[in-house]
Amino acid sequence: MRITQEAKAATAERILDSAARLFQASGWEATTTREIAAAAGIAAGTLFNYFPSKEAIAARLISVALEEAEQEFESRPAGDASPEEDLFRFIWTGFKHLRRYRNFLAPAAEIVFSPLARSSPDRSGDAIRVRHLEMVGRVLAAHGGTGALRAVAMQLYWTLYLGVLAYWAADASPWQEDTLALLDHSLKLFLASLDRKEENHDQRKSE
Amino acid sequence: MTNENLNELMAALTHDTEEGAPGAPDEELREILADLARRPAPVHSLHRLWTLGELSAQVSLAYLALWLRKWFSGADARKRHVLETNLRVALKLFHRLAYLRGAMTKLGQAAGHLPDLVPAEIAETLDRLHFDAPPMHYSLISAVVANEFGRDPEDLFARFEKEPFAAASLGQVHRARLRSGEEVAVKIQYPGIARTIDADFRNLAALLFPLRLGGDWEYVKAQFEEVRRMLGQELDYRQEAQSQRQARDLFTPEDGIVVPAVYADYSGARVLTTEYLPGRHLSGFLAGNPPPELRDRFGALLYRAYFRMYYGYMNYADPNPGNYLFLDDGRMGILDFGCIQHYGDVEREIVRVSDRVLREDETAAAELERLSSGISADDPDIERYRPLFEQFRQWLMEPMRCGGAFDFGDEDHMRRGFDYFRGVIRKRTMRGHPTYVYFSRCVFGLKAMLYRLRARVDVKSIQREESAIWQRRTGQN
Repeated sequence: MRITQEAKAATAERILDSAARLFQASGWEATTTREIAAAAGIAAGTLFNYFPSKEAIAARLISVALEEAEQEFESRPAGDASPEEDLFRFIWTGFKHLRRYRNFLAPAAEIVFSPLARSSPDRSGDAIRVRHLEMVGRVLAAHGGTGALRAVAMQLYWTLYLGVLAYWAADASPWQEDTLALLDHSLKLFLASLDRKEENHDQRKSE
Repeated sequence: MTNENLNELMAALTHDTEEGAPGAPDEELREILADLARRPAPVHSLHRLWTLGELSAQVSLAYLALWLRKWFSGADARKRHVLETNLRVALKLFHRLAYLRGAMTKLGQAAGHLPDLVPAEIAETLDRLHFDAPPMHYSLISAVVANEFGRDPEDLFARFEKEPFAAASLGQVHRARLRSGEEVAVKIQYPGIARTIDADFRNLAALLFPLRLGGDWEYVKAQFEEVRRMLGQELDYRQEAQSQRQARDLFTPEDGIVVPAVYADYSGARVLTTEYLPGRHLSGFLAGNPPPELRDRFGALLYRAYFRMYYGYMNYADPNPGNYLFLDDGRMGILDFGCIQHYGDVEREIVRVSDRVLREDETAAAELERLSSGISADDPDIERYRPLFEQFRQWLMEPMRCGGAFDFGDEDHMRRGFDYFRGVIRKRTMRGHPTYVYFSRCVFGLKAMLYRLRARVDVKSIQREESAIWQRRTGQN
């Protein structure tokens, strides 16, 4: 029997919904792929036709949320905002869309985005990172930056981003307001490092 | 701030030669104060941040420096070198903290009331405190507002100006218009700073209070607690909203004093939305060369507002120029009710006894002395304190006893006030009901404003009228 694309998409959707519900209710560790499959009304083995692992399910949840956030971010005209302001809004919009996953985000992100792993399971974490950094590049380009970030700058950005994300996932302050302050400081740090680099670069050129 | 004020302050403070203090820290203090006066605001749109330079903050700074300088007298050269280093560290620290008027004034106050501690410890501890509220861009503002109200400012308000028009302690103020049409001022606090400061103060207290230094230590502790309590109140905009509503109810349109209305639906712990008042601050008002009658009028309004709130059992403890508006129609606006001391039973009793003292009932003076110091008449310590209390009381009464309008432009009067504070520091007499930390700050701030206004005010008549209103309201006699 041939399964239509539509039916496949609907099943994938059901798996994601069930997984999100279970992660929220029972936590990341306690939830198994078997339970997810059962909740989605499919056989345990069938699930792996869709997602190779629990981590891959989490990665998809995260990437869908971040894509929605990206759309929301781009739907608003930038106006006369500074790069700092735009980046802040981009990141915070992402957090807003991830908020419903906050209680299982830390353990999931640890695997999906592990900075020590060469790549994440099925590389879905890499895809999210690449897409995110491209957007950062576009934001900076819109403000007269070079567009593509240098490797070191990218690494610095991503390290800061993951740090803020991890902090936010466990932030117990009211409305996670401490994360707001941390993000504010982190972006200042990142942008200051860009400025300095470009200054040095210019200096070398003129010498 | 003007250099005039600075010189005035330095002149009042530095002829204290009997201390035998070395010249270097003096010069350093002078340099730092002068630098504060010169330095432009870090963000050009935030000029109000520089209300810091106003006298009350400087008093705190100089007060602290003087107190630290105590440690120079009688020390040998080596020790003095160490102490000088400590003083420099402390001054630099305060220099840095200068970006925050509110917190800085309070910190200065707290430190100024801790008499018997080695400077090294203070400097080190203060260094860990960081009251650092950088300016917020619109994306951050938007996130804070959305946190409290679930909507971005542009959805919540009909119009919201992305650039702040004023700095507030620990945040900034934006103009906006409600969907119902009212023009408002929206004060927004930097996220998380309230809890940071609160934690810093708790840590400081935890470090200091296991020590027991000097006979007056319990008083110092109580005063520190009062500062901490007041600061906590200032950090929570909901409490400020409550105080502001209460103050607003005390005034009628005939008074010529306006307390902006609070919009509760647009206010929370980190956001406070109030009616927008168009007007100038003191320096702007003075720049227009107002005629003497107008200056006198505003001077009278300042005193009337003070007495109305005082007899309403709330002390407006932060009377700095940034908190008053001079309206073109002759009315005076009062802003910022974060630093209000609500009087409890003991303070209300002090108000009652003070009222008798103000009516020249000499039998009440001893009672006031006892209430405000906590020292009974047969305590031998009273001899040490009596001259100071008496000096302060006489200074407070001066404007009332002149038989008409008192000229607050009188430098001599200000100088005697400084002398009193120097006396307190020199003698290290720290006793006193905790309420006096803010009472003296209030009195000093108010007089500094009146001094700059060079206003002549019939304080006695205003006090009598306000006392009468209070008596009618509360059934006192």
